[in-house]
Amino acid sequence: MHTASRIDRFSRLLGHAAAWLTLVMVVVTFGVVVLRYAFDLGFIWLQESVTWMHAAVFMLGAAYTLQMNEHVRVDVFYREFGPRRRALVDLAGVILFLMPMTAFLAWAAWDFVAASWSLREASRESGGLPYPMIPLMKSILVVMPLTLALQGAAIALRAIAVLGGSGADSRTDPT
Amino acid sequence: MEWIAGLLFLSVILLLLAGFPVAFTLGGTALIFAGIGVAAGVFNEALLTGLPNRVFGIMSNETLIAVPLFVFMGVTLERARIAEELLDTLSRLFGRLGGGLGISVTLVGMLLAASTGIVGATVVTMGLLSLPTMLKRGYSPAVSAGTICASGTLGQIIPPSIILVMLGDVMTSAYQQAQLSMGIFSPQTVSVGDLFAGALVPGLMLVLLYVLYIVVVAIVKPETMPAQHREADDRVSLGQVLRALLPPLALVFAVLGSILTGRATPTEAAGVGGMGALLLALLRGQLDYARLEDIVRATLRISSMVFLILIGASIFSLVFRGYGGDDAVHAVLEGLPGGVFGAVLVVMFVMFLLGFVLDFIEITFVVVPIVGPVLLAMGLDPVWLGVMIAVNLQTSFLTPPFGFALFYLRGVAPPEVPTGAIYRGVMPFVGIQLLALILLALFPELVTWLPDKIYGS
Repeated sequence: MHTASRIDRFSRLLGHAAAWLTLVMVVVTFGVVVLRYAFDLGFIWLQESVTWMHAAVFMLGAAYTLQMNEHVRVDVFYREFGPRRRALVDLAGVILFLMPMTAFLAWAAWDFVAASWSLREASRESGGLPYPMIPLMKSILVVMPLTLALQGAAIALRAIAVLGGSGADSRTDPT
Repeated sequence: MEWIAGLLFLSVILLLLAGFPVAFTLGGTALIFAGIGVAAGVFNEALLTGLPNRVFGIMSNETLIAVPLFVFMGVTLERARIAEELLDTLSRLFGRLGGGLGISVTLVGMLLAASTGIVGATVVTMGLLSLPTMLKRGYSPAVSAGTICASGTLGQIIPPSIILVMLGDVMTSAYQQAQLSMGIFSPQTVSVGDLFAGALVPGLMLVLLYVLYIVVVAIVKPETMPAQHREADDRVSLGQVLRALLPPLALVFAVLGSILTGRATPTEAAGVGGMGALLLALLRGQLDYARLEDIVRATLRISSMVFLILIGASIFSLVFRGYGGDDAVHAVLEGLPGGVFGAVLVVMFVMFLLGFVLDFIEITFVVVPIVGPVLLAMGLDPVWLGVMIAVNLQTSFLTPPFGFALFYLRGVAPPEVPTGAIYRGVMPFVGIQLLALILLALFPELVTWLPDKIYGS
């Protein structure tokens, strides 16, 4: 249980931190509109920063969302299942679906991200985000699957505990 | 190898029923199919190498940035109890009329239910908000349940809803693909703004039909929705009505107006809307650090849920296409008797059935990209098709015994509301939806008139 709780804490910290970017996105988008209409000013890097934050929000928040059990399920049957059945579905799902998907995403993204770093990629727009913001954004492609896989491991550990008779619920207590 | 694509589709639907999160079931199943295919030499693995680029495309899709911003606006309005105050004021205003509370619930659903774009969430919110009051005031359980389910799903198709943003984005690329396949290399475009404009008249028409139905029932069977006797504390002043109604109304109008008049992109309008919602919450003394923290976290979770489904769905469609599924669907739809009409009817029927299992988001990202280009290549109007899909899915979510909305309302309804009553109460609304679909099919101008008027054609 110790390991699972540590993973939970990590996902939560990351998610809670990334969440504040949504507020910054709202403020910056509002700012972009005000600058354009009141002062006829436009900054491409400012607009691109919203895109950047948007990507960071949903990618870095994915593991935390999984922990909070808010990735939508088709729960017509799942809802009626007892804790053991749910644990079985969660364990199988992590092993069959989540792990292969995250492993593949991270593996496939590796070269894509490495190329961006080695090219010292900057925004294609003039006045856009400078190096290293674009490679940093692309690196999220590797970070997201890794954090998701880690959270998936926490869920699997809990599910095994439930199936072994020593845990109450494979989904974590959201507190 | 088209049969493998069909098998993939069926497997996904069946595996989803096990209840593991949709995003990973979609992506995982597709990858398993791709892996077996590569091993057996029937799937071109080069197709999968494009995946990081696709996911990065999702991360940098500018249209979809409107989604988290609209979610932020909706969550803020919800947490600031704007809907509650609105319902309270409206029901006191209309309470003395038979059916007045029912009408209030419909109007609140129209204005605010769009916040998250998840059918379950909006129906649950509306249910918790209005069901106890309706029952307390002597409304029959059936009528209450029907009204809540219908108005809770209504917000999905009334702009600005995030469903229409997503559908708009998918339609944009489907329309381009369709025109390219027809040999048009300087394609016309369709935007989220077009879809907002197109959905406005049909959405308001549905509101009107709902209200008409409630008024008729209130006259014919007054015992099912009794008028409220006036009590001293039920008096409501014009000032109170304006205070409750004006700010959210102004916000929605400002957001929608600036998009429809082309003054702002949906993303910009959503950002301004989010700021406006924050200001509104602040002015009402409903915003402190804890609540703000709650708002940003909820926004992150909903956005992440939506976009992970999009990532899962894009893996699915990559593999589905790799096995020739797109071409197979194309061939089947083109070969149907009845031409365009037959094809639309079949697609609508299949979507209706899928609506029993999948939510709006999944159908938008999984099914629309497959069938959209084929249907549009037959010459259909993309805005009309988008609105038809939206109304059709809303109908599906309401239809017993599998409709999503009914399950979720069941979850929050007290035991004295029997499931049978929920089914009975919602049937007239399903009838209204079908009527609306027929009207939209017979008179496409209901959809296309406003976009043509605004943007010219």
